Amino acid sequence: MGATEHLSKQFEADLDATRTRVLEMGGLVEAQILAAIDAYASGDAALIERVIENDRRVNAHEVAIDGACSHIVVKRQPAASDLRLIMAVSKIVTDLERIGDEAEKIARMAKRIHEEGGGPFAQRFPAIRHAAQIAVRMLRQALDAFARLDAGPCADVVKEDAAIDDEFRSVLRSLITYMMGDPRTISTALEIVWVAKAIERIGDHAKNLAEQVIYIVRGTDVRHSPPAEVDREVAKE
Amino acid sequence: MPALSLATAVETRAGAAPSAPKAEARGLSFYYGEFRALKDLSLVVHEHRVTALIGPSGCGKSTFLRCFNRMHDLYPGNRYEGEIRLYPDDANLLAPQVDPIEVRMRLSMVFQKPNPFPKSIFENVAYGLRVRGERSRRALEDKVEAALRGAALWNEVKDRLAQPAFNLSGGQQQRLCIARALATDPELLLFDEPTSALDPIATTSIEELIAELKKRVTVLIVTHNMQQAARVSDYTAYMYLGELIEFGRTDELFIKPRHKQTEDYITGRFG
Amino acid sequence: MREHSAAELRALIALHRRGDVLFAALGILALGIAAFAFAALFFDMLVSGAPRLSWQFLTGFPSRHADQAGILSALVGSALVMLVTAAVAVPLGVAAGVYLEEYARRGWLADLIEINITNLAGVPSIVYGLLALGLFVQQFGLGQSIAAAGLTLALLILPVVIVATREAIRTIPQGIREGAYALGATRWQMVSGHILPYSSPGILTGIIIGLARAIGETAPVITIGALTFIALLPPAPVTPEFPWLSFEWLRSPFTVMPIQIFNWTSRPQAAFHANAAAAGLVLVLMTLAMNGLAIWLRHRLRARMRW
Repeated sequence: MGATEHLSKQFEADLDATRTRVLEMGGLVEAQILAAIDAYASGDAALIERVIENDRRVNAHEVAIDGACSHIVVKRQPAASDLRLIMAVSKIVTDLERIGDEAEKIARMAKRIHEEGGGPFAQRFPAIRHAAQIAVRMLRQALDAFARLDAGPCADVVKEDAAIDDEFRSVLRSLITYMMGDPRTISTALEIVWVAKAIERIGDHAKNLAEQVIYIVRGTDVRHSPPAEVDREVAKE
Repeated sequence: MPALSLATAVETRAGAAPSAPKAEARGLSFYYGEFRALKDLSLVVHEHRVTALIGPSGCGKSTFLRCFNRMHDLYPGNRYEGEIRLYPDDANLLAPQVDPIEVRMRLSMVFQKPNPFPKSIFENVAYGLRVRGERSRRALEDKVEAALRGAALWNEVKDRLAQPAFNLSGGQQQRLCIARALATDPELLLFDEPTSALDPIATTSIEELIAELKKRVTVLIVTHNMQQAARVSDYTAYMYLGELIEFGRTDELFIKPRHKQTEDYITGRFG
Repeated sequence: MREHSAAELRALIALHRRGDVLFAALGILALGIAAFAFAALFFDMLVSGAPRLSWQFLTGFPSRHADQAGILSALVGSALVMLVTAAVAVPLGVAAGVYLEEYARRGWLADLIEINITNLAGVPSIVYGLLALGLFVQQFGLGQSIAAAGLTLALLILPVVIVATREAIRTIPQGIREGAYALGATRWQMVSGHILPYSSPGILTGIIIGLARAIGETAPVITIGALTFIALLPPAPVTPEFPWLSFEWLRSPFTVMPIQIFNWTSRPQAAFHANAAAAGLVLVLMTLAMNGLAIWLRHRLRARMRW
């Protein structure tokens, strides 16, 4: 699909521009997560400020892409794969924007943790960084699948969401242990829970994104289906 | 209607509830002389549903429609192969022993360009009844009124039934033609691009009317306007070069067509 | 970069406009010549014939004395011959036209008939006279009668009526036919309910123009032997006794307007020439009246029809 060009070059150009913009936004959001996690680890105040500042750009992307979608709907009354693309893009940008918000949240938490002197304590949880790496990989895969309109990797993304959830639970367990052992850690620990939760949410949003890509490519709505079923749908030819 | 769940609303809109077949083409081929204009078409027209035929110009959608009421019999050199069955009596409309006039008495047709007769509004609607030998003034008046009401035209014309039909606007003329087609109580109503000569407002009123009509009659409509097919129909058939490429529920066909050719056509990649 | 400046464009348009002006002038000139020729003829006839026009002239029989001669027998003869002509040519011509347009299959036979009809319209009228002399007068034994003349002229205008009928039928859009057929009409229901009513203005116009041509025809009527001196009217078509209608008049000898005129012009006396002019005036007025009627009918009936 998508091999043939539209009769209308203008339509083709509009769709291309929108797709490109989504990928740009995705790249920006990905960078935001990485920066936020670095800031969490290092407490680099300038980096934290930059992440918070950059979230505005993410928001601006969302508004612009949604506008472009409305524009295409009004002008072209898209059907079939075009329709699915536009519908999915308008959901994808919402997910990307939420991911941006989560990154910003991580940065804000990092700021608080380091201001309270909880930096060294925060270093004790490698699972956080690990979960963040999985989340970023999921997002990258989903965006890649979107760029190539390939449902193949999407099933993996959906499956990987479970891994993040596992990491999240393990972080939670060790934090509880610390909090029970030394109540002075509670305030920082709670902030770390927020960070972990934010990463877990990023995983969810990345999974949504992958599901939207499956919808674009296959026309099947796999939301709320168990991963095994998603796998079967993607494997279908 | 608080009891109506969202799911029900969506189902109703999509006309998803299955219904009995009203007509069915089976292995239908059609020839203009030596030229094979339709190739082995098979398709079921569901009762009280709107079925749309779409496809690029020259794909045979109008030709297919005109097989149903044997309009091709009017011109020499035309030949059918295969069957069109009309249910519930399972009659083959194309059988050589079936008189095309009998077929046309059971089905009605609305044409591309409004074609009212240069007679009064009343006489236009009454014509089909007169052809069927109806003489009683009373019966004619009742049926004409019912048909005009059915075509959502009664309130606009009830005070000027004796006036020439040509005084009506284009949209009104087309609704008059729909009333004329309804007056004889057809089993199947055929529309051949009924709004291609109308402005957008008149088009909307005809589309509204079609949605209303399917409660009492089965509708088969040819349209060159894909959005129109998406708006008015429950089922859509995509035709290309005399072949039926894809047939299915309208929203499925427009969101997730199974065939690349359909996809290319409805997304404007055809060419 | 624009190819022409505004001034150049204006010059170019002015040049092109000159074609318009030139053709308009030419058209007016052509029209003026035709109109002037007719006006001159008519005026000449009016000057020499008008003084002779009187009630006595219209109701008198031919006479050897120019000042006593009238055109009654020619007027009545023309009217009766036209009656026969119309009664024969209209049903035949319309039926043939309808058949050719709505019933006949296209093919070599239809083409052949088509060519024949077109050619018939171009056959010199004297040939019709010869044909009629052999067929109607001698073969059928109709003699030199009103019936023979009416039939002859009917043959003459048949192609006109057929062509007019076909032209009128062809202006009816196919959508009307399909609309009627789609409602279950048979061919005859369609023809009688739609084709004939809607084409009637055109057909009527054709009939009247045909009759206007027939009323002025001289050659075929002379050929079959119309008399030039008729001092009696044909028997009346209505009788006091049962069956109240009589067709005796069909068999009676007759004269018609053009023959009366021809007869008078061939006399040496100038007074008879005045008579001829007066009769010509009457004939022209009759023809104009018929054409006027055709135009009026067409407008009246067309107003009801639109597609």
